[in-house]
Amino acid sequence: MKATIERATLLRSLGHVQSVVERRNTIPILSNVLIEAGEGGAVKVMATDLDLQVVETMPAASVDTPGAITVSAHLLFDIARKLPEGTQVSLEVADNRMTVKAGRSRFQLPTLPRDDFPVIVEGDLPTSFELPAKVLAELIDRTRFAISTEETRYYLNGIFFHVADDDKPVLKAAATDGHRLARYTIDQPDGADGMPDVIVPRKAVAELRKLLEEALDGNVEIDLSASKIRFTLGGEGGVVLTSKLIDGTFPDYSRVIPTGNDKLLKLDPRSFFEGVDRVATIATEKTRAVKMGLDTDKVTLTVTSPDNGTAAEELPADYKADGFEIGFNATYLKDILSQIDNDTVELHLADAGAPTLIRKDEKSPALYVLMPMRV
Amino acid sequence: MRDAKDTDEDAEADGLRKIIHVDMDAFFASVEQRDDPELRGKPVAVGGSGGRGVVAAASYEARKFGVRSAMPSVTARRLCPDLIFVRHRFDAYKEASQQIRAIFHHYTDLVEPLSIDEAFLDVTADRLGIGSATRVAELVRQEIRAKTRLTASAGVSYNKFLAKLASDQNKPDGLCVIRPGEGARFVQSLPIRRFHGVGPKGAEKMAKLGIATGADLAARDIAFLREHFGSFADYLYRAARGIDLRPVRTNRIRKSLGGERTFSEDISAGPALRETLDNIVDIVWERIERAEAKGRTVTLKMKYTDFRIVSRAKSLPNNVADKSEFARVGHALLEELLPLPLPIRLMGLTLSNLEHESGQEEERPDDAQLSLL
Repeated sequence: MKATIERATLLRSLGHVQSVVERRNTIPILSNVLIEAGEGGAVKVMATDLDLQVVETMPAASVDTPGAITVSAHLLFDIARKLPEGTQVSLEVADNRMTVKAGRSRFQLPTLPRDDFPVIVEGDLPTSFELPAKVLAELIDRTRFAISTEETRYYLNGIFFHVADDDKPVLKAAATDGHRLARYTIDQPDGADGMPDVIVPRKAVAELRKLLEEALDGNVEIDLSASKIRFTLGGEGGVVLTSKLIDGTFPDYSRVIPTGNDKLLKLDPRSFFEGVDRVATIATEKTRAVKMGLDTDKVTLTVTSPDNGTAAEELPADYKADGFEIGFNATYLKDILSQIDNDTVELHLADAGAPTLIRKDEKSPALYVLMPMRV
Repeated sequence: MRDAKDTDEDAEADGLRKIIHVDMDAFFASVEQRDDPELRGKPVAVGGSGGRGVVAAASYEARKFGVRSAMPSVTARRLCPDLIFVRHRFDAYKEASQQIRAIFHHYTDLVEPLSIDEAFLDVTADRLGIGSATRVAELVRQEIRAKTRLTASAGVSYNKFLAKLASDQNKPDGLCVIRPGEGARFVQSLPIRRFHGVGPKGAEKMAKLGIATGADLAARDIAFLREHFGSFADYLYRAARGIDLRPVRTNRIRKSLGGERTFSEDISAGPALRETLDNIVDIVWERIERAEAKGRTVTLKMKYTDFRIVSRAKSLPNNVADKSEFARVGHALLEELLPLPLPIRLMGLTLSNLEHESGQEEERPDDAQLSLL
């Protein structure tokens, strides 16, 4: 194999795929990136962790000898990063070594054969639809913070996508860690009708979100089956991310979304966030609870720490129901409040032991449910 | 130092544990032989057969010819002309690995996986009331055979060091028990190379010092070992006596995340130090992002050429917000230490006081947080 690629092009593509590669691998070839130089002057790079793979095709300045090989992903990325701007990078394979040349630099890297490189077998992906990258990014941003990291409940370690017929056909994304839930609803895209329920793993979500950042103006093509999902960004010659789906059943989350909470609190999410953040300063790691005292048109936030004393702050609010007290994990509350880009946020409360519904307003596509803490 | 030794032995005797080390036999190759009857009883190598392939795993039939993992395929074929090469199927190995893990967890929650095909189990608590660790090891092996149609070897003893040595003793499909009181004698006869942590370089160094077996090692006092092996000495001293107090660790809750680099050449100049720090920031920050960890304490550690260690830490009022803040704090810590009195051979950077993004670390003593599901 011999190919020459503009340094910026190589760096950009390697940047897209290399973060899939785990730093520590028990299987050596998983540390490598597959590089394939084709007849047509395009070079494909691919990285995998067996559950997730990212493939990108980039234009080469020239392909002298087509071929394919694998080398350490992080090494090649670090080298490309440090090469001078504007240089042409030549990649040439001979005698089990890949020679990387650019300007006055020359590296010789060990390789492993391409035949050993594992590729995820996609199989048939019968459901296909498109989403604007901006919409997909928003959907991820509004839900991913609630994904569980608890491995024993592996079926919560991702974002759950499913279609439904509410007033109209919709596509919903939901994530929960058992303490809070985030859900985002959009109009059902053409082609998504009848798709299987799927759970996209956390790492795939994170990698996809990074890729979306550079392609926010385009559309993303999504193809899926009950076991695999493929995201194609930037059409032909773009980036393709394929992930296995989490093999499990997402709980029926709709039953934890409260519908009859009759105590409505409205206030400014920013001053609410800042108030919670301030009083939580004295909270020790173990008791991170913030107590909210609700009275007519005001909320009093208090934190009591056995070691650090007490903190209190009073906030103006719109509240007409009976006064009561409720406690929340300050971090969870802040996570949700930081999602609300509006002058008011609605909290629909029932009592100190029941789930609270939080949203911008009733038209908002995003909805959050937070379970209180005993205080 | 006699005191230290006595305390160790007492500590081990006080809380006598039951540890099992389970190790699958020629794992990758066995999975291939299981799934393809044609391969059974034949020398099989998993890996690329091409001019440049490497053997990833070899069946026991192939090992008889001297075929070993990590050997170039060309060499392997020369040793064993009938060797059959098969491509690896990681999915199949992963699936078997998950089945095995599930079996371990049936017997105990204290499982420490070492890799895809081996783990330590602490069965002191005897959750199922089986009565003997040897019996548990037998049951685990039987269940592995029944559910995966693969064989495993197990070692049973009262610490991790001995259990691992034991599992290696009667491979394949074997079981070996080292009972309390037998550890020291067992270790005496072992060649030094079988001690975990002693590689080819270490063995070479020991040979020069006249240490070839566990008995040779046990004959040296701790001062001698410290002089020649530094911080490794305490481990060697205990291992030579069959003592190992390390607990079986399940998925530990991380308290810190970091990384360090030892250099091939000592560094003392400011620009080189700063560049090195940038490199370490890159590596460590990636780990932090991957773990979705947030923390507010940054610690810089350096080891001088005379092996003295200096470290400086700074805690921020809030979590380190991003990579540039992490780098900034790291550099501020470095600048405080400049100019260095001696060149350094190692630099490390750590983020601690961790709080994980999901708040999972807050394992509350009381269950104040109510559950949604």
